[in-house]
Amino acid sequence: QPDSGLVLTTDPKPRLRWTVELHDRFVDAVTQLGGPDKATPKTIMRVMGVKGLTLYHLKSHLQKFRLGKQPHKEFNDHSIKDVAHTWYAIRMQMEVQRRLHEQLEVQRHLQLRIEAQGKYMQSILEKACQTLAGENMAAAGGAAGGYKGVGNHRGVLPHMDGAMKDNFGPTLNFSPFQDLNIYGGDQHLDIQHNVERSSPSLDGHFMSNKRHGPYGGGGGTGKSPLIWSDELRLQDLGMAPSCLGPQDDPFKTGVIQIGPPSIDTSGIGKLESLSDIYDTKPGISNDGIDERKFELSPKPERPSPRRAPFQTERMNP
Amino acid sequence: MAMAIDNAFEVDFCSYSTSTTTTTTADEDPACTWNHWGSPVVDWGSLSSERDEFQDLIESMMDDGTGFELTRLGHDHETSNSVSVSVSTDTMVADEETNGEDFKGLRMVHLLMAAAEALMGANKSLARVILVRLKELVSPSDGTNMERLAAYFTEALQSLLEGSGGGHSKHLITNGPQHHRDKHREADMLAAFQLLQDMSPYVKFGHFTANQAILEAVTHDRRIHIVDYDIMEGIQWASLMQALVSRKEGPLTPHLRITALSRGSNGWRSIGTIQETGRRLTAFASSIGQPFSFHQCRLDSDETFRPSALKLVRGEALIINCMLNLPHFSHRPPSSVASFLSGAKTLNPRLVTLVEEEAGPIGDGGFMGRFMDSLHHYSAVFDSLEAGFPMQCRARALVERVILGPQIAGSLTQIYRNRNEEESGRWSEWLDTMGFNPVSISFANYCQAKLLLGLFNDGYRVEELANNRVVLDWKSRRLLSASIWTSPPDSDL
Repeated sequence: QPDSGLVLTTDPKPRLRWTVELHDRFVDAVTQLGGPDKATPKTIMRVMGVKGLTLYHLKSHLQKFRLGKQPHKEFNDHSIKDVAHTWYAIRMQMEVQRRLHEQLEVQRHLQLRIEAQGKYMQSILEKACQTLAGENMAAAGGAAGGYKGVGNHRGVLPHMDGAMKDNFGPTLNFSPFQDLNIYGGDQHLDIQHNVERSSPSLDGHFMSNKRHGPYGGGGGTGKSPLIWSDELRLQDLGMAPSCLGPQDDPFKTGVIQIGPPSIDTSGIGKLESLSDIYDTKPGISNDGIDERKFELSPKPERPSPRRAPFQTERMNP
Repeated sequence: MAMAIDNAFEVDFCSYSTSTTTTTTADEDPACTWNHWGSPVVDWGSLSSERDEFQDLIESMMDDGTGFELTRLGHDHETSNSVSVSVSTDTMVADEETNGEDFKGLRMVHLLMAAAEALMGANKSLARVILVRLKELVSPSDGTNMERLAAYFTEALQSLLEGSGGGHSKHLITNGPQHHRDKHREADMLAAFQLLQDMSPYVKFGHFTANQAILEAVTHDRRIHIVDYDIMEGIQWASLMQALVSRKEGPLTPHLRITALSRGSNGWRSIGTIQETGRRLTAFASSIGQPFSFHQCRLDSDETFRPSALKLVRGEALIINCMLNLPHFSHRPPSSVASFLSGAKTLNPRLVTLVEEEAGPIGDGGFMGRFMDSLHHYSAVFDSLEAGFPMQCRARALVERVILGPQIAGSLTQIYRNRNEEESGRWSEWLDTMGFNPVSISFANYCQAKLLLGLFNDGYRVEELANNRVVLDWKSRRLLSASIWTSPPDSDL
């Protein structure tokens, strides 16, 4: 066999570089000798007959050959595991992100669907109030005095002025249910607590800045951000109840009442109890309402999650 | 109403200690609550004509070492108001640990059970007396949850007693001079309905679960046809339409057609007529750009459904929607529901969505078992509302009066009517035996339910009882079940 030139590295400590040719000859020799388990560095050296090839070189090369038969790959068991772990971890993270994304989607859809229901209820309530208004107008001959605005926590409908109308908007007064005070009362609504605890939740969207906001002195552990959100959205969407009548109409100030505003005493009594249903919190004022409306900075058309920093951070690694 | 006995007597359960810490009828096994009573003093002399199941019940209580005091009074039952509890309290063996409120609550339950038993045993006079006593003790508008609940059960039992067929008769809307009052009722109904939606997930849970399943089933369809068993005011479809107009896959904004089943009289529960619902839905659809059409399909006078009465169009995806839960009128005649679901099968629908109230396991409980279960069910509902909105008593009272009270009456009527029959079981089980195939509830759907509940109180929970069935719980009590089905692939038409 001819002398093959061994390729030595230029390191300070020269090492043998196993070229393809050299390796092929090594494999030939090993095969001749009956396979990697039968061959020994000594016998291989003899068979290969390559000048400069030492036992040391062959020993280490043979070992690698035995292990993986892939001498050009210089990884060992340890790094295989590392790779596997890393790969697995990435997969897991992708799964988690996918699930998170899906949950966010669900969250977003849920919110839109709740709003749609709210809009629809609004149309029913408007219609009802229209009917009631029409009837009572006919019956009562247009007397404005006997009516009480259920949605108005002050309980006095006819004295609402234009400013009030602008601030409240039709939808706020429309429904007493949207009067924050229902969910107010004298206790503190633990919204913040609930909001922080649940994730991913609709907290970012509905609650907006975790103020005590309209729920000021909220009640119990019940949270109904749905209402509040619905109401604001409706304002955004410019839903003006059509029973906002023209002049000479107790509704001209934009307050729609729900419930029977009849002027017979039993009717008024009933109304009063209806408005009392929603425990009044004296703290709520115009300013509070304005601020609330303001802070929510309503978006037109398609509402999107207003504030979900937590989630977005996760989504953008 | 002549009474069979000369002397009115007052059944007074007293002098026991109780370890119950809640005011709800948490005990599944009523028998265990009897164990803490003191010594009995019984005067059966006046009851010689009254030996019946009730008496056996009392006696068995006595055998257990329980007891109560049967105070015989010389008053006419109409003036029994003047008979104060204190007469019997003098002889009470009061236990130091007796909690006043629990005491009263438990007492209510026992009285109710006694009245129900008496009714079951066709012992109307006894039942009547007990109910009178109950009415003295409880009122629908004040007191604790348990007391108000007992008041509604009392009313329901009273209706049964008078044989008015479910207690709805006085609430039926009529035309003419009643019209004005009806508007008040309608306003009440609207207010209560809105409140129920705001204060609880009971309405949205069923609607949203069904809608999500529908959306997933029709992703590639251009035409969708939904047959709705009990459309009421149509709110379920508002959110479906919203989802349809904003869907991104498949043909954009498919055409939606809804057929609402209508009955001769919707009774007092309706918020307007089916036609009004149709108009509303049409207007709403138009406002969001959803292609839409609305139809009615009349049920027979006995509320039987005839599939042939439906107008079907080729190429449309047929969905059968059956909401049997609050606030839908929960207690439609079973024959009507059965006719609807079996008729549906012949139409080979793409999807069947079913939401119903979930009853507890009754076992051999029979009428009394179901009665107690109903008590348990509604006490959970009352509690859930209170837990979320403890300060808003009047709002809750309105919901209780307008929606829950009639539900209770309907429930008891149904239980009473079926008292001699086997356990009626769930409609979801019925669908299963009918051969409908379950459709898995997706992760997104389940996730939506959990998120929805998360908006309310922590006491609400979703359970996945089968891959096609999710259940809404309040604490440990299962309340609503939503299940999804499809017709088997090779069903004969």
